[in-house]
Amino acid sequence: MQSVKNKTNRSPEASAFYTAGLILLGIVVVSFIVSLFWTPYEPDATNAASKLLAPCLEHPFGTDNLGRDVLSRVMSASKYTIFISAAGVAIALILGTVAGIPAGYFGGITDRGIMLLGNSIMCFPGILLALVAVAVFGPSVTNVIWALGLVFAPTFARVCRVGTMEIKELDYITHARVMGVKPVRIMTFHIFPNLVGQLLPATVIGLANMTLFESGMSYLGLGVQPPDASFGKMLSEAQAYVRVAPWLVIFPALMLIFYILGLYFISEGLRVNLSKGGK
Amino acid sequence: MKSKTGYFIEKLIELILTLLVVSLLVFAAFSIIPGDAARVMLGPNASEAQVELLRAQLGLDKPLIVRYGSWLLGIITFNPGTSYAFNMSVAELIGQRLPVTVGMSVIAMLMVIIISYPLAVVSARKPGRLGDQICSVIGHVLFAIPPYAASLLLILLAGSLFSLVTVGNYVSPKDDFFGYVGCLLLPSFAIALPKIAMSFKFLRSSIIEQRASDYVRTSKSHGLSDLKILIRHVLPNSNVSSITIISIILSDILGGSLIVEQVFNLPGLGRLLLMAIERRDFPLLSGIVFYLAFITVILYFLSDIAASLADPRIRLK
Repeated sequence: MQSVKNKTNRSPEASAFYTAGLILLGIVVVSFIVSLFWTPYEPDATNAASKLLAPCLEHPFGTDNLGRDVLSRVMSASKYTIFISAAGVAIALILGTVAGIPAGYFGGITDRGIMLLGNSIMCFPGILLALVAVAVFGPSVTNVIWALGLVFAPTFARVCRVGTMEIKELDYITHARVMGVKPVRIMTFHIFPNLVGQLLPATVIGLANMTLFESGMSYLGLGVQPPDASFGKMLSEAQAYVRVAPWLVIFPALMLIFYILGLYFISEGLRVNLSKGGK
Repeated sequence: MKSKTGYFIEKLIELILTLLVVSLLVFAAFSIIPGDAARVMLGPNASEAQVELLRAQLGLDKPLIVRYGSWLLGIITFNPGTSYAFNMSVAELIGQRLPVTVGMSVIAMLMVIIISYPLAVVSARKPGRLGDQICSVIGHVLFAIPPYAASLLLILLAGSLFSLVTVGNYVSPKDDFFGYVGCLLLPSFAIALPKIAMSFKFLRSSIIEQRASDYVRTSKSHGLSDLKILIRHVLPNSNVSSITIISIILSDILGGSLIVEQVFNLPGLGRLLLMAIERRDFPLLSGIVFYLAFITVILYFLSDIAASLADPRIRLK
């Protein structure tokens, strides 16, 4: 954790990861910010006169089967990718911390119970549990966020639990306990702040993994609903035109990969820094 | 240190408890499903009496705990009831779709092992060299591609290269085994790609770690060749950690196949799952979801046991 803040400790390897990651992530984030104010065309505006146009000057990324501008749609789709992953990770972080720290702190039956629930949630392969949740409550952006938050919570709970188990053995926690500080206060003010360094890489990876899941659900039609654009949905619509209009696949896929890869690179940089400096 | 049987029993209890919680999660999820299944099946024109009769036939009028009990009993005896939508036994429906999902998972797993193992061994020989770095970067990129997007890109690539990949033609293994394997190759590869990257990364760092340890240095000073040290000492030791990784990868592959089969239009469990969701087919949906989780729980259990046999120190924890 210390090394993340202390810039002099950065290894060249970590810097390379940070640079690559920030560039890739930057492309997606900038296109998202710009899309808030301006897109070349209306993302949902159909145009019968310009169906399936290959990339050209007017439409740099081409147009789809309904004549919608792919660049505009890609730009507006980035908003869902960023929003859903951020909101989902926030929920997972809160749930995971609230469950994981007490599990690590109290141990015993509390720990066993919480971990049993967490492990059971992790036993549903891939997006299965999120799919079920969305199937039950109906496909909508809010439900996808809640479902993904729930599915990812155990990952964060594990990080918190292991971290707490290490920290609670330290002298200052014993001191606090001897002085009669309440467990809730110890966990909130003395343990949690020291977990931030370990939660940071987990959060970045969580964002990437959540995007993988979200786009998969949108691809299956159980995520962002049309006519709103999302990368997964765009790819599923493009599927019928893979051969005739490859640009419909390439550009959304590229943006999706940029976002995920950018996050992976940043988390890799964090990991390299943590393993070389810090501890 | 716990004895072998003690550890086994502890893991077995954990397995049973996990399965119980899993079954509760599945059942709870479908009990709060909005919409009355009987009403959905009969349509809006059915009379209240007809709906009540069907509800009674389906056992929907019984209290929740009784329904959970009978559902659980059915599911653990591999007799999870009859599908509302297909009017067929759920076990039979799942059985029909299993060859696709299982075949894809097995082929993808084989690809992961065959490709990632040699790459990791070669890469770890000279860490930091150009070849190693290229492999690592490609690994990161592959890791970031969602399997279904990889499928589309592969179709694009394979289509323009040989135009021999026919999408959507499933061949049953009973008719033509090689045709069956052939039609599953490309989808399996799409699922395998990110997992190859994952397995490569873990194996590589585990081999590098092992090679830096004292016993390797000692073996070297005893005059053992690099290859002998690798095969006799380094690989077996890194295998212990790969057991756990492999079980995680297998479960991921299983989950990934659900989406990828949609791209290739294959009649697997994923398609069945989507149909069950669409038609609010509770017995079918809960059956698929439970058994997929069941397979994963068993996988993790087996990998725990295998890892503890390979490395008894694990039982210390």
